[in-house]
Amino acid sequence: MSKGVLVYARNNSQVDYIKQAYYLALQIKKYMDLPTTVATDSVDYLKTAFPDYENVFDHIIELDWTTNYTHKRYQDGTLSGRQLEFKNDSRTLSYDLTPYEETLLLDTDYIVVNDVLVKAFEQNQDFLIYKTGYDLANFRDYSEFDYISDTSVDFYWATCVFFRKTETNKIFFDLLQHIQENWPHYNSIFQINSSVYRNDHAFSIAIHIMNGYQQGDFAGKMPGKLFYTTDRDIVVDVDDKSFLILVEKENYLGEYTPIRFKDHNLHIMNKFSLNRMIDKELANE
Amino acid sequence: MSNKGFLMLSQNSETDYVMQACLCAMSIHASNKEAKVSLVTNDKVPKKYKSLFDNIIPIPWTEEKNSENSLASANRWKLYHATPYEETIVLDTDMLVLQDLSSWWTFLKNYEMYFVSNVQTYRGKQVVDHYYRKAFKANQLPNLYVGFHYFKKCDFAHEFYKWMELVVNNWELFYGKYVSEHYPKSCTMDVTAALVAKILNCEDKITNSLVKYPTFTHMKPYIQGWNHPSASWQSRVGTYLTQDLKLTIGNHLQQGIFHYTENDFVNDDILSRYENYLGVLDG
Repeated sequence: MSKGVLVYARNNSQVDYIKQAYYLALQIKKYMDLPTTVATDSVDYLKTAFPDYENVFDHIIELDWTTNYTHKRYQDGTLSGRQLEFKNDSRTLSYDLTPYEETLLLDTDYIVVNDVLVKAFEQNQDFLIYKTGYDLANFRDYSEFDYISDTSVDFYWATCVFFRKTETNKIFFDLLQHIQENWPHYNSIFQINSSVYRNDHAFSIAIHIMNGYQQGDFAGKMPGKLFYTTDRDIVVDVDDKSFLILVEKENYLGEYTPIRFKDHNLHIMNKFSLNRMIDKELANE
Repeated sequence: MSNKGFLMLSQNSETDYVMQACLCAMSIHASNKEAKVSLVTNDKVPKKYKSLFDNIIPIPWTEEKNSENSLASANRWKLYHATPYEETIVLDTDMLVLQDLSSWWTFLKNYEMYFVSNVQTYRGKQVVDHYYRKAFKANQLPNLYVGFHYFKKCDFAHEFYKWMELVVNNWELFYGKYVSEHYPKSCTMDVTAALVAKILNCEDKITNSLVKYPTFTHMKPYIQGWNHPSASWQSRVGTYLTQDLKLTIGNHLQQGIFHYTENDFVNDDILSRYENYLGVLDG
């Protein structure tokens, strides 16, 4: 049965997601020995910027260039931030787009430094996702990651998802597309109170519906733990498997605590510092 | 004496608890076809609802006319004596039974008395109650909920209820000794049952905190896991009841027993939906 990783990379005016996808694919090959497919609306740029792309990517899927995107604020630490385009509306197509029978769907800002996710391919459940994330700073308000809103359903992380091609998962992804197409409706009845479409929210709603609007076992738990650092922190570098991160200090705006985080995969939400880190890594190769 | 059944106590005040009991009885019949239901009350039961009950039993002995707060609790200990069943599940009137409870009856057979000690939010999460149950934690009382409990006619349950009577009738004395931290303003049956369990040192005999069921969904607003609770849960999440009596609260399908806690939850729409389903006719 074919297996591999699927990532989406659609650049905005300031964040190079294709560079992130390229770096992630190298990491996946190094630590997990799996092929990576990238879906992007900038194939020409990819081929130009990364001439060895054929050695890094298993497949390249071309997405249509659209102007159908939202905006959100991207922080670069606590003191700097920009309002940028956010092109995240392709993820719901993953079932139809993936060339694999077994797919690990990853965000490009999820940095792999071990092989723990390989275990997803070795177990029996057909759909896996993280429900709980662990913030490297332990003082922040995590409630937005418990439920999709104060009164609504459980939150799941679309950052890292495993699925097999099954009839049930086909229904799930069709449902996801339906939710996305009718987002104002679902946004309203699930009391999300935010106009920005988020894949985490759409996945959470779809899982809740697949469970019959109650607690259920449609979604299994991904192996390992999902650690994350928000865009208010700054990732400085990664030395082999060890990240150096400046974590924002509670009640001291603009000040940070340096920490080392080793051997675990990490979801890095600060895209600017992630790309700076990748630049350093790629320059060293 | 009948084998087993559900029992409720209602004493009308400003709130029509008899109507709540009738709605609860309809919900039991809708989900438990052979169930027997009895009501202990001195109030008038509307004619069209009388057939919901196998027995309508007057409150034994004298009805206590104490203050509003203690009115409900003053007579609860009498349920042991009033029940017509060998095995009884006692329910608060402000509950809806939403599923067949046969497996719960089977589980409860293992006990002489059983109190629920884990309750759930409408999202199916176990309640961790730091708001309403301060007295329980501070005074190391067992975390019992009288809203759903079970007993067999037996010496142990009789003794337990005799103690409940004693505590209810002397609650200031007992609470002063055993519930001095976060001393309750009035006598409540949850505290009373917990206190009796502590006195009799029988918690392991009357509950099991490791099992998920039996339980009920407890809709007091400050235990729903909300960061921004309000005085009424109905102001935060919607209620949807389908024609076939599937109850959804804020996109969460409910099952088991639903303890709605707010009296204005009962309205004509909900009553008529149950009446239509069961064919309850004006008579």
